[in-house]
Amino acid sequence: MILTFPHMGRMYIPIKGLFDDLGVKTVIPPPISKKTLEIGTRISPETACLPLKINLGNYIESIQKGADTVILMGSCGPCRFGYYGVVEKEILKDNGYDIDVVILDSPGLDPKVFLQRIRKISGNRSWTKIAKAFLQASRVVTKVDELLDISLKKRPRERKRGETDRTLARFEREVLDCHGSREIMDFIEEYKIIFSQIQERENADPLKIGLVGEIYTLIEPYVNLNIEKKLGALGVEVYRGITIADWVRTHLSLDRKYKKQRREKLKKGEDYLGLCIGGHAWETVASTVSYCDMGLDGVIQILPFGCMPEIVAESIIPAIARDRGFPAMTLTVDELTGEAGYLTRLEAFVDLLSQKKGRGYEQA
Amino acid sequence: MKIGIPRALLYYIYYPLWRTFLEELGHEVILSSGTNRGILDHGVKSCVDDACLPVKLFHGHVMDLAGKADRILIPRLISVQPGEFICPKFIGLPEMIKNSVPGKPNLLILNFNARSGMEKGYEGLRSLGRELNASNAMINHALEHARAKQDVYTGMLGKGSDPITLLEKRGRQLSNGRSAGKSKGRIGLIGHPYLVYDQYINMNVCSKLDAKGYAPLFPENIPAHEIDKACERYPKKLFWSYGKSLLGSGLAMLEHGMVDGLILLTSFGCGIDSFIDDLLQRANQREFHVPLTTITLDEQTGQAGFDTRLEAFIDMLEWRSRYDSYLSPYGADVYSNQRTI
Repeated sequence: MILTFPHMGRMYIPIKGLFDDLGVKTVIPPPISKKTLEIGTRISPETACLPLKINLGNYIESIQKGADTVILMGSCGPCRFGYYGVVEKEILKDNGYDIDVVILDSPGLDPKVFLQRIRKISGNRSWTKIAKAFLQASRVVTKVDELLDISLKKRPRERKRGETDRTLARFEREVLDCHGSREIMDFIEEYKIIFSQIQERENADPLKIGLVGEIYTLIEPYVNLNIEKKLGALGVEVYRGITIADWVRTHLSLDRKYKKQRREKLKKGEDYLGLCIGGHAWETVASTVSYCDMGLDGVIQILPFGCMPEIVAESIIPAIARDRGFPAMTLTVDELTGEAGYLTRLEAFVDLLSQKKGRGYEQA
Repeated sequence: MKIGIPRALLYYIYYPLWRTFLEELGHEVILSSGTNRGILDHGVKSCVDDACLPVKLFHGHVMDLAGKADRILIPRLISVQPGEFICPKFIGLPEMIKNSVPGKPNLLILNFNARSGMEKGYEGLRSLGRELNASNAMINHALEHARAKQDVYTGMLGKGSDPITLLEKRGRQLSNGRSAGKSKGRIGLIGHPYLVYDQYINMNVCSKLDAKGYAPLFPENIPAHEIDKACERYPKKLFWSYGKSLLGSGLAMLEHGMVDGLILLTSFGCGIDSFIDDLLQRANQREFHVPLTTITLDEQTGQAGFDTRLEAFIDMLEWRSRYDSYLSPYGADVYSNQRTI
């Protein structure tokens, strides 16, 4: 059994650590590229959402490198993600890849099946070993996000332009040489120090923009055309509405305190949307409101074309913007999104924000 | 009080329930006009671009009612079957309307959430009744009547009738071909109720099929247990009630050889259909090999293009049975590469 999984930002780091610890062979899909997207687009239903297309590209590129089993998280609606596993398996089958797709649904749905599947992908290790490995992996998740948060703070303030991104790229290259979650965590700690040594400009007072929207688009840099990097280069400090760590804590852990905080945060959007409508639309609306309360300069919502829950959020955000005089922009991405047009819109939005602050046009 | 019900989305399925309930509570119910150019244009203008055609139409119907009704009923259908959902846009519908429709019409929001049991779902109607200042006794009485009416309606749909005949009283137009017994065959029309039964937006597809001598068969004509059974071939339960109904009814029609062809009607950007139609097509290609076509509708769909595709499909269907000994000179037959005729 050689496992593979779809990419989602830096999720491959904790997953690698997890399966290294368990001694299960994995193939990390090659970084998402135009080719990945082309493979996925060719075999997917035309109006399926972008993440599905990229997932399929990931699988096929991994299968070509020897993988024979796919693991994928599941959910039970109403967002389309919940049925990804079934549709993806059917598509792979029709294209000549009759491989095993293991769907990890929420444990609450059917605990027995969940445990069986965990056991299966863990190479039948003992439960204590499995539990330990998963616990370690969740720590790696948090650490990776901490590192990314530092990079978000550093980018708009760095003295030497591009230094943060170069460091991050080096980290991503080298982390693959680590084996097991312990080594990975030590390595991340090392890089935290390297990041903190990046020199900052004096008196840097960057604009602050919150990113909200669909989770995959927010987390996967290829899909959002590396918006964090682009905004950072425009001199903007980016706040992320959703991180992998948030997702893991919400869906896979028993962290009561965190769940309570989350509920309180969601309450902030009550005036506009007061219930879960699937996906992360509720978070999108609540984060927009709370970023406004926090005094950020604006928000950008990103969604893949046709994303059902985010369309609802998209129609609510203008009302928040209107009521509170809070600048907001929506960017829709799909396989045809052009980088230049996207950058122009980001630049224009940043210009507007800095003019609103009375700074006039400045080349960051 | 005059309460307006938009003639859009799941009106085609739940109208008897809503109407009877409100009328029994002593209110007058009015419907928005049938879909027309004006409604479509208004809807498209007020709604976000990314939304699908039916949601845009709903916006248009709400605007049509503004000024005519004292309050407008906006159903928030979270779940209509225990353990299932419907499209996320239905759940956020009241918010979409509130934030997009100009002039802040007075909305009456009906929450219906049967996720943890049908009775829980009807609680939504009860609290709607309380909001309209009805006594508990009145509410119970009205609900009982409404549910009885709805049951009769659902039963009639299961026996082969359709909402256009039952609600719009245009039955005679539709059933000409069928009753005369000169029907050449049946064509399954798989699509969400708000596409299949809205004769404006689907370019009168039912009458057009009828004129060509084919009777349409709708997803609502397939009994629920057949749908559930047909869906068992997939390892994971489908959590969208209408997704399940479309896929299951399509599969049931194929499995029992009830249809000569299938037309999948979908609106551009429909998230559920992008998956459901794909699964149905794959199943058909592997096992059933029934002629199948997908027609995508949006606000720019043109009548002429639509008719051409429909005619081509019917031609293909008929030629196929007439020339079934045709062998392609190219080495492979034109229908699929796994099969010879």
